[in-house]
Amino acid sequence: MKKTRFSKSENYPLYVTIIILFILMSLVNGRKFLSWDNVSAMTYQMPMIGLLALGMMVSELSGGINLSIVANANFNGIFIYVVLNALTKGNMMAANGGQFILALVLSFLMTMLIGALNGYLIAAWNIPALLETLGMMTLLKGISLVITQGYTISDFPDSLTFLGGGSVLGIPMSLIIFVAVCIIVHIILDKTVFGKQLYFTGANPVAARFSNINVNKVIIKEYMLSAFFAYVCSLIMIGQMNSVKATYYDSYLLIAVLASFLGGVDPAGGFGKLLGTVLASIILQIISTGLNLMRLDPFMVTATWGAIIIIVLFGREIAGKFSSGLKRKGAVQ
Amino acid sequence: MNRRIMDILKKREVLLLAIIVVLSLLVQVRAPSFLTYENLANVLKACSIVGIFSLGVLVITISGGFDVSFVAIAQVSEYLVVWLLLRYVHGNLLVAFLMAILVGTLMGLFNGFLIDHFKMPAIIITISTQNLFYGIMYVVTKGRLLYEVPDYLGKMSNMKIFAATAKNGAAYGISGVTILWFALALAVAFFLRYTMKGRSIYLIGGNATAAERIGINMTHSTLMIYGIGGGIAGIAAIAHISVIMTVIPNSIVGTEMDTIAAVVLGGASITGGTGSVFGTILGVLLFALINNSLTLLQISSSWYNVFIGGVILLSIFVNALQERRHLRQKVRVKVEMQEV
Repeated sequence: MKKTRFSKSENYPLYVTIIILFILMSLVNGRKFLSWDNVSAMTYQMPMIGLLALGMMVSELSGGINLSIVANANFNGIFIYVVLNALTKGNMMAANGGQFILALVLSFLMTMLIGALNGYLIAAWNIPALLETLGMMTLLKGISLVITQGYTISDFPDSLTFLGGGSVLGIPMSLIIFVAVCIIVHIILDKTVFGKQLYFTGANPVAARFSNINVNKVIIKEYMLSAFFAYVCSLIMIGQMNSVKATYYDSYLLIAVLASFLGGVDPAGGFGKLLGTVLASIILQIISTGLNLMRLDPFMVTATWGAIIIIVLFGREIAGKFSSGLKRKGAVQ
Repeated sequence: MNRRIMDILKKREVLLLAIIVVLSLLVQVRAPSFLTYENLANVLKACSIVGIFSLGVLVITISGGFDVSFVAIAQVSEYLVVWLLLRYVHGNLLVAFLMAILVGTLMGLFNGFLIDHFKMPAIIITISTQNLFYGIMYVVTKGRLLYEVPDYLGKMSNMKIFAATAKNGAAYGISGVTILWFALALAVAFFLRYTMKGRSIYLIGGNATAAERIGINMTHSTLMIYGIGGGIAGIAAIAHISVIMTVIPNSIVGTEMDTIAAVVLGGASITGGTGSVFGTILGVLLFALINNSLTLLQISSSWYNVFIGGVILLSIFVNALQERRHLRQKVRVKVEMQEV
């Protein structure tokens, strides 16, 4: 058989998995799964997993990891609340356009600062990323808890909740933002010098250093990019929950690591594509929605997410043996 | 100054001890009830479970591995053992421990097998197994609580060694759980320092290739390391039931990172090769002291994470600073050698 471009693609197994899962879930759940409501609910929820997984992926490109991403997103939401609250003297609902934009800009700068600090400590001081971001995660979560005293804070202005929770012509805003972010990041990773340098640094930091790449600068920028995802996440979170809290989406932290891994990211650095991670997020979302429709326990979803990695690993091994066996047969003939 | 004294002062344990002493004195000034036998015994009891967990995490961390599934392992063995004791087995404390260790070790071995077989990063595997263990437990048990925990399990934590009586007539003393923690710590310290297997863990963490070259069987070692981690999680499970006397399927969910932070604060390098039991105990104690002093000083407990995060970042920064100086010294020595 002539190999098509499709089957040569490295994401081929992911496409197949998505199709199989989609058919499987449609067979089990019938109309409910294929209904317009369900599909649009899926596109409404998926960006959250997707953004966290992409933020994780970016941090893993240099061989690092960003455990502070969820804490950063929550903290950012709370920071927006603090700024808006101070600007409007306690009446957030009545925030006008200027105050609204000022809050968004200030919180954006704050997130970038956190990302830059992460990158600086990791790159310039040679601190393992796992440790540094673990410390940052605890610190940010702590500050969020101190500000909110553990309570949920709601009553955000409609213009802000529209960003993450609204929809245009039936398409959820979260999906539009997600696609926009994907396009921007795709350009950054694949079309700019920084992107090339980042992949190179991850694949071989020593060679990168000798090729006159400022590795520290690349890593600082990388963690700022990772923090950018936390920023977008916080906007979507505010929109979908209509509130902020110090502990939203805590359990998604490790799921984001799984999703990036499923998408073909090598945690040792240097490899990983945007598309793969997005596809992996879609897979996780299909499983989650499908199992929810079957009225299974939400923890069954967690178990399945965990099992998927192990199944994928076994599958890859068996497929590897199978194809090497075929090759050997071919050689004999 | 004498070089040997300098070397001792540079050790992480000394730094931690100094921080603990200074913190204790500061708190003591504001809250005189801090340095009393009653309070300290309570602090020790409160951090015993994390203390026991941290020993397993320490062994895995020294080997250069990483484990986030140990809490899930403990939760599963907790549920399984109590369920068996209620339904089928008429046991005692020893039987409970043996069963929990068995269950925990088996799950640890499963981790070890996957990590060794697929040659995948431990963090990926253990995140998957963590979700898998939790998920399966929830699906099977439907999240039901177990209330009627056998009495003999509670005796261990209610035990009061060196008992004394408070003014209000309540007895207090060192809990059996604390004794268990320290006994286990001694055992792990002995294992790591005086046995071939234990010492080989340091080598594996420091340089896995070298370890393999000198003939250490990596498959067996990986299985052993994660098996020990699982077994210790099983012990922690029984200690935990003994304290709270109820099996709540999600009572310790999400405490993984606290334990890992304590181990790392205690001087174990996340990349493997270094770490000591004493340092780990001090790390756990420091976190417990921060928690306790917040209560005594009547500061809102929401500050806890801020302090913990600050301490972690500060300590790794100091560590990085030391390493940089160390590196500079090395370079200087090299230059001097060349001049000669």
